[in-house]
Amino acid sequence: MVFAVFAPLIFAIIIPFISRFKRKIHTGWLILPVPLLIFIYFLQFVGRDFSTIMQSTNWIPSLDISLDFYLDGLSLLFALLISGIGTLVVLYSIYYLNKEEQLGHFYTYLYIFMSSMLGVVLSDNVFVLYTFWEFTSLSSFLLIGYWHYREKSRYGALKSMLITVFGGFSLLGGIILLTIVTGTTSIQEMVSKSDLIINSEYFLFILVFLLLGAFTKSAQFPFHIWLPDAMEAPTPVSAYLHSATMVKAGIYLMARFSPIFSEVPLFFVLLSIFGLVTLTWASYMAVRQTDLKGILAFSTISQLGMIMAMLGFGTTYGVFAAVFHILNHATFKGSLFMIAGIVDHETGSRDIRKLGGLMTFMPISATLAVFGTFSMAGVPLPFLNGFYSKEKFFESSLHLEGSGTFVEGLITAAPIIAVVGSIFTFVYSMYLFFGTFRGEYQESELPKKPHEAPIMMLVPPAILVLGVILIGLFPNFFNHVLISHSADAVYGDSVTKKIKFWHGWDSRAFQMSLVVISLGVLLYLTKSKWDSIYSFLPGPLSFNRVYDWIVEKVESVSNRITTFYMTGSLRLYMVLILTTIIIITASTLVFTGGMNFDVNDLAPITTAEIIIATIMALGAIGTTIAKNRIAAILILGVVGYGLSILFVMYSAPDLALTQLIVETVTVVLFLLCFYHLPNLESGTKSFTKTGTNLLISTGYGLLMMLIGISAYNSRFAETISTYFMENTYKLGGGHNAVNVILVDFRGIDTLFEIAVLFGAALGIYTMIKLRQDKGAK
Amino acid sequence: MNNLAILPIILPLLASVIVAFIPGKLNMVRKISQTLSILFLIIVGYITWEVFSNGVIVLQGGGWKAPYGISFVADYLSIILVLTTYVIAAAAVFYAPHSLSNQQEKFYFYTFFFLLISGVSGAFLTGDLFNLFVFFEVLLMASYGLIILGNGKVQLRESLKYVLINLFSSMLFVTTVAFVYSIVGTVNMAHIAERVEAVPAEQQGIITAIGVLLFFVFAVKAAIFPLYYWLPNSYVVPNPVVSALFGALLTKVGIYSIFRIYTLIFVHDTSFTHDQLFIWLAMFTMLFGVIGALSTNNVKLIITYNIIPAIGFILMGIGLYSEDGLTGSIYYLMHDMVVKAALFFLVGALVVAAGTKDLSKMSGVIQRFPLLGWLFFLGTLVLTGIPPFSGFIGKLLLLRGALSEGYFLLTLVALVSSLLILLSMIRIFIRGFWGEKMEGMTSDNRKVHALTIPAIFLLSVSIFLGVGAELVLPYIETISGYLLDRTEYISSVLKG
Repeated sequence: MVFAVFAPLIFAIIIPFISRFKRKIHTGWLILPVPLLIFIYFLQFVGRDFSTIMQSTNWIPSLDISLDFYLDGLSLLFALLISGIGTLVVLYSIYYLNKEEQLGHFYTYLYIFMSSMLGVVLSDNVFVLYTFWEFTSLSSFLLIGYWHYREKSRYGALKSMLITVFGGFSLLGGIILLTIVTGTTSIQEMVSKSDLIINSEYFLFILVFLLLGAFTKSAQFPFHIWLPDAMEAPTPVSAYLHSATMVKAGIYLMARFSPIFSEVPLFFVLLSIFGLVTLTWASYMAVRQTDLKGILAFSTISQLGMIMAMLGFGTTYGVFAAVFHILNHATFKGSLFMIAGIVDHETGSRDIRKLGGLMTFMPISATLAVFGTFSMAGVPLPFLNGFYSKEKFFESSLHLEGSGTFVEGLITAAPIIAVVGSIFTFVYSMYLFFGTFRGEYQESELPKKPHEAPIMMLVPPAILVLGVILIGLFPNFFNHVLISHSADAVYGDSVTKKIKFWHGWDSRAFQMSLVVISLGVLLYLTKSKWDSIYSFLPGPLSFNRVYDWIVEKVESVSNRITTFYMTGSLRLYMVLILTTIIIITASTLVFTGGMNFDVNDLAPITTAEIIIATIMALGAIGTTIAKNRIAAILILGVVGYGLSILFVMYSAPDLALTQLIVETVTVVLFLLCFYHLPNLESGTKSFTKTGTNLLISTGYGLLMMLIGISAYNSRFAETISTYFMENTYKLGGGHNAVNVILVDFRGIDTLFEIAVLFGAALGIYTMIKLRQDKGAK
Repeated sequence: MNNLAILPIILPLLASVIVAFIPGKLNMVRKISQTLSILFLIIVGYITWEVFSNGVIVLQGGGWKAPYGISFVADYLSIILVLTTYVIAAAAVFYAPHSLSNQQEKFYFYTFFFLLISGVSGAFLTGDLFNLFVFFEVLLMASYGLIILGNGKVQLRESLKYVLINLFSSMLFVTTVAFVYSIVGTVNMAHIAERVEAVPAEQQGIITAIGVLLFFVFAVKAAIFPLYYWLPNSYVVPNPVVSALFGALLTKVGIYSIFRIYTLIFVHDTSFTHDQLFIWLAMFTMLFGVIGALSTNNVKLIITYNIIPAIGFILMGIGLYSEDGLTGSIYYLMHDMVVKAALFFLVGALVVAAGTKDLSKMSGVIQRFPLLGWLFFLGTLVLTGIPPFSGFIGKLLLLRGALSEGYFLLTLVALVSSLLILLSMIRIFIRGFWGEKMEGMTSDNRKVHALTIPAIFLLSVSIFLGVGAELVLPYIETISGYLLDRTEYISSVLKG
């Protein structure tokens, strides 16, 4: 099983090399066997009463992440869909994409996707599942952007990535919470500890996080908006990722986790509500589309909503119907996408307003489309699988239980909403078929003269249609070997349901079907009369606009915020930095009771000190208001010399000497430099600016003083300086403690300070020299 | 054997001096620098192995016993960061010849480069608060030398702001060291830690305040909200190789220092400093950083702004101060150093390839330079924290740490920032690499190619850190346990 999951990935890595060297053969042929073999591998489990299979490989045991692959009925159904439809899609794409395209890229992305999707449905470890989950989003992003020179492809790719990765991160939050609560990373073990999850304080967060992950991936209202734009991908991709497999990952996730939530009505209510809303809204919107793939996209959304709703019903009826429909939807929708691709390929247009009357040119495609669309519409014929699942859907909507006003209201509303959604489904199915294949042929509108597709291109949709018919004819065979196993796995208990074509006239589900068909026909025939309703609902409102608005705003608002404070003004930066430091440090000092302001312990202040300090302070203030550079630096010198006098008074003559020299040299250097500089601008400073400066500098000074005094008063341990005083001569061999500290005790400090000087000297040399060289040029 | 602790500081210092003597012989300088970088990397690799197999290595500088001399402590945390530094240095030294002009190389690029490495390693390895200040000076001076290499008006203007703000923080640093000294009477970090622990509860308030002040010193250097104003422009103006070194190393030294002092010294009031201050600042840092990244069309600036949210993630782990939080934080720190350097390399190559920094003028670069495009895409995934790459491991641990302590807001902010980071990066991919082939792309394919090779090396390291996490993670877990305990550090320095 591990090999089955990773085989496509391995091929994805070598595909670029194959495609480069084998120009003559279409790359697709070379790699076609991969999904086929995987399909055959999984086929061996069908019908066998296998107990679940688990295979483990250690990966990151420290984080409890291991490659645990788990096969039960549910994963088997998905694995078969992924590999089976994968095979057909690869075959189809060989004719759809010609050899001039960048096939290497296409198949690489496609096979990365195949691996990831198999990984999603087979992983038992939540983090491995998450890894594969993100990779399905990424490969979908790359596939949508396959024709990246088109503006719309880029738009669609970004949109799908943002929305699905948003969901992915949300899922990550959810599974981390699950692992914290249950202490395990295995889904199966989580299921067995479901009471821990339900009773945990994080329960609501877990639920919301997981639902967001599933709803974004499976394009549930209002996150469905990415799917129509994802139709920019090449059609094989739409057929594969965006209808048959990837978009069902969210449904898979919900099905997988539903045993955990089996005791939580809220979970099921939410699924049902979102599912039903999605079903109705998207089927309503599908009728409005003019692009063939647009219709199919909304149709897919609506069908996904339907599956979600059935899962949400949570009854044996619902679960069974959901699983059954996953299979049925994959067959008819896959074939319809492929036919849409054929129409596009052979006529050069997908606009249903320009198409029409293609039956005569493309009889085989048309025949296949009849099966697909009628099955989707749920027309009661014994060889259409769509009818059976629609019946099951109605049946499950009638078998709801629950208490509470809201839930009871929902139970009453569910069958009605189901019927309404199905009516629109019927309408767009008819619209899709008749609009394309019947009606008037408009030669002038089409870029190409239409003709039937090459036979091999028709094979994949034909196989899927064959599936539609076979499931329709022998529903209980498929039920027995596959569906019931899958449903059992979801429900966590045995779900035995028979599938019958005829339930009798008095069957409520059948009556609902009749309502759907009669109203559907009526609405279809009168479509032109009522379709102006779309200008009121949704009218200009749409979630696309919300998305566009957010993405656009994220950039413009970011820009506004950032340029607001990143002005390039050093003064502003310093104001902000100092204000932050003052406020936070001062409040810390006050609130932690760190203030220890007590002057008794300080040395008495002499008159001389006061005089010098006053002079220094005046000097410092004078510097800031001096009108002329030379005056400023000279006044600043006062501060430095004052400091050296203070050093003398505190009996540190060597420091005083150093300070004196440094001060003199800097003043002289400054004076030399100023010779080359223009005069100081005497611009009038605004009062607020000066005020702020004054406030901040005073604040900072006060803060330093307070901390200094408090720190002094809180001195706690003897300083290490006694050691230096004692050992300067004894161990250091010198008489001056400062010198011995500098060159011996802490000689490394000095060494690296010298390195700093070395760097500074080279830096200055570089600046001067580089400038001269520039000048020389 | 103890001397191993100081080798990563002394070796590059020597190298820096050696190459300063022969600036004119460029080929020789390059060869020497490249050989030495690899040699140093091997030596540091050996030291790392030594530390992890035989325990912390402590060198008492000049043989003066602690706390009187200067202690160098090659413990698990510092040595692993030194190792990461040398990995990046080795990649950078191969990138430089293709990215810099001959003239820039001649003007002591390699000298400043090795000086920077020496300063960074020193900051990681020193066990002395004042000595840490000295190494900050070293790396500040080296970075200053590197910024002005371009010597344009812009470089000088931005480097001035950079230097002034950093000088201010250095001044504050010295002042704070004086405050610390006046309370506990020592500057040796282990000794400070030991003495702070013994301070009676009613006097701890002032220590917290000084700790906060010291935090701000490092926060300025680490580019934590709201103190990072100096960073974006001063990192954008220099050559990509310099930006890569800065982005990968400089801010990380700041965050490392916070890491060190807030796991070793100031742990007496974590409910305020860690749980409140750090967590809030981490959130703001993530958000404002990524908002900055979304605000511009300058590709280099986008990468630069992305330094800031990463710092937020690391600070978040320090704030959590739990085993998960610290492990995640260290993992994220290593990951970010590597991937930031790689991204700066790639974006440097992109600018060369497209001939512009402006994203709105770029398109279709991938058609001419597919390798570059895919590497950039990969780098984006690594940065965003998509599994199975290195960013994921750290992020997973951080989020797990946050959620298990009930920090929901923090988790949401972290997740939203991740999404926005992805958006800010994928914009470059979609608008710059995808689309119609643009006019004016460079014809110098070989140069672009040469620029991608060091990035390939670094991205391989990132992938290894992700896929091969099991080979690394247990060691990082050792580190977080070691940091939470503190006694091993203190005793190995003071009684060693």
